Amino acid sequence: MNNLFLLGTVFIPLFAAIIGLFVSRNNRAQRYLSFVASLLTWGASLVVLIQALSDGPQVYNMGGWAAPFGIILVADNLSALFGVMASTVLMGGILYAVHCRDKCVTYPAFMPLFLCMETGLNGALYTGDLFSFFVFLELMVLASVSLVAISDDRLGLEAAIKYLFISGMGTLFLLLGIAAMYATFGTLNLADMGAQLATGERPFLARSAAIMLTAAFLLKSAVFPFHYWQPDFHTTAPTPVHAVLSSVVVKVGIYGIIRMITLLFTEEAALLQQILLVLGVVGIFFGSLGALRTYNGKRLLAYSTIGQIGFILVGIGWGTPFALAAAIIYAFNHAFIKSAMLMVMGLVSSRTNPKSADFETNAGIKRYSIQGVGSKMPALIGILWFLGGMALAGVPPMNGFISKLVIVQSGVAAGQWIALGLAVGAGVLTLTYVFRTWQFVFQTKLPEDALAVKVKPEGDSVLAPTLLIGVSILLGLYARPLIALAEMTVTQLGDPSIYIEAVRLFGG
Amino acid sequence: MSLTDLLFAGAVGLLFGIGVFQLLRRDLIKAGMGFAMLFTAVNLFFLSVGAYEGEVAPYTENVERGLAVSDPLVQALILTAIVVSFGSYALLLGLVNIVSRRYRTVDSDEVNNLVR
Repeated sequence: MNNLFLLGTVFIPLFAAIIGLFVSRNNRAQRYLSFVASLLTWGASLVVLIQALSDGPQVYNMGGWAAPFGIILVADNLSALFGVMASTVLMGGILYAVHCRDKCVTYPAFMPLFLCMETGLNGALYTGDLFSFFVFLELMVLASVSLVAISDDRLGLEAAIKYLFISGMGTLFLLLGIAAMYATFGTLNLADMGAQLATGERPFLARSAAIMLTAAFLLKSAVFPFHYWQPDFHTTAPTPVHAVLSSVVVKVGIYGIIRMITLLFTEEAALLQQILLVLGVVGIFFGSLGALRTYNGKRLLAYSTIGQIGFILVGIGWGTPFALAAAIIYAFNHAFIKSAMLMVMGLVSSRTNPKSADFETNAGIKRYSIQGVGSKMPALIGILWFLGGMALAGVPPMNGFISKLVIVQSGVAAGQWIALGLAVGAGVLTLTYVFRTWQFVFQTKLPEDALAVKVKPEGDSVLAPTLLIGVSILLGLYARPLIALAEMTVTQLGDPSIYIEAVRLFGG
Repeated sequence: MSLTDLLFAGAVGLLFGIGVFQLLRRDLIKAGMGFAMLFTAVNLFFLSVGAYEGEVAPYTENVERGLAVSDPLVQALILTAIVVSFGSYALLLGLVNIVSRRYRTVDSDEVNNLVR
């Protein structure tokens, strides 16, 4: 039977976006409608996860056309797990946007675009068809570019153009890869391709398709040689959008890579993993050092994302089942930590007047330092940043500790001492930049010169970051279910025939 | 390899080359044109690699008569890809329009404010 919940995860936000356009006169109604839609999507994704765990991969044939001819939605454990991660963080982002005081949130297109982004994200995670993966990805990219272009930050426009060009190139390579795959195998269905690739035959274009797909995925995840758009694009985004972009949108590429090396190119996986390992280690250092020397609080967290993605790639690069599980756990935990910390930084800058997240004052280019503004704000904001920083740096009892622990354990088990040492060494940098910022913003006094920013009595709501930090603490204290889940996922990924058979049996 | 294949390969290569060259120019409008050309090149590549080769249109009657029909799927895919690329191209031109109004130039070096 077709799984309607699976359809819901993709189409509830799409329909809500359309309805939202009809009520565009009433901004408040639009915001609550979007929140209800994201709540429903979250519920649907949870149901899908539970069903996928109990009954195996779930399938929905779009329009009643069975695979390999129709477009299908598939949720195996990996898709379902990433889907829950995405819809939870998106729900947090929309909850933040409901109470956000940014001017751009009041634009009638903001909430529909946000929901389109959720559609694209969920669709890309759940689809079982390579071409519709491209379509969903492009929907997500166009929605996020529009959202950044209408940001309150005037530089958002420039960053949006830059990203549109760069991501356009990524999309082209994805399309070339898809064309090459289609020319080689005569199908676009992932399961069908996997079945043909499992025979060990490698026709002329198959390997070049693998390279093109890898490049496209790395670009979407802002991995080291393709990272340069990410800090600009993410820094200038509105806070709720930034929280989603930097935590779950960059994970689509990670998902694509995991899917590719476990389902499609299982023979070439070892070679790809070596590349990913090197890129991951470089990314960890690049991101952490960039975050250490940057000039803006939001930019710091954007750079930090490059570093954290590096940790995930290192986990994938080691390639043992345990390391892959560790990478999945890391990706899952990082989404909550990073989105919560970004919301806290947005919270701080929403209370400053003029609005700012910079570390230094330079009145000539209208930059004002946020030194010490945290001391005039409720203690809760400082505590949230502190807890988030602990999670990001991997201090118990937060979930970041669990993800660092499993990564280190899997590295020890795999005997990869050089990469492990480098990764752990760079982890110390995380501790430095997070707590230096904490000290700078929350522990020092507000300077009393004319250029100092004013602190407004009210700002954005603290609800969304509190919830996400709460999830982080919960995942840190009760880590066992997530670890078990990741291990089950990896067991399932280890045998691609489960995915292939589920799709084939369903198609009949 | 037939003459058509050579023609296709040459056209895809030429379009790709011009597209990349245009994309790297400083003028944002010309870069946008390069963007459109690159998408055209990829669409052409898609058209040329149809997995099933044939001569007549893929109607069911032709299939029943046992004629070699051309691959309909690539054409459907290209149509989708064209729609998607139109979307991004329209968005890009809209953004360039705002840039030209705000900064009175479309030279990407002069607009470059993100470098500190």
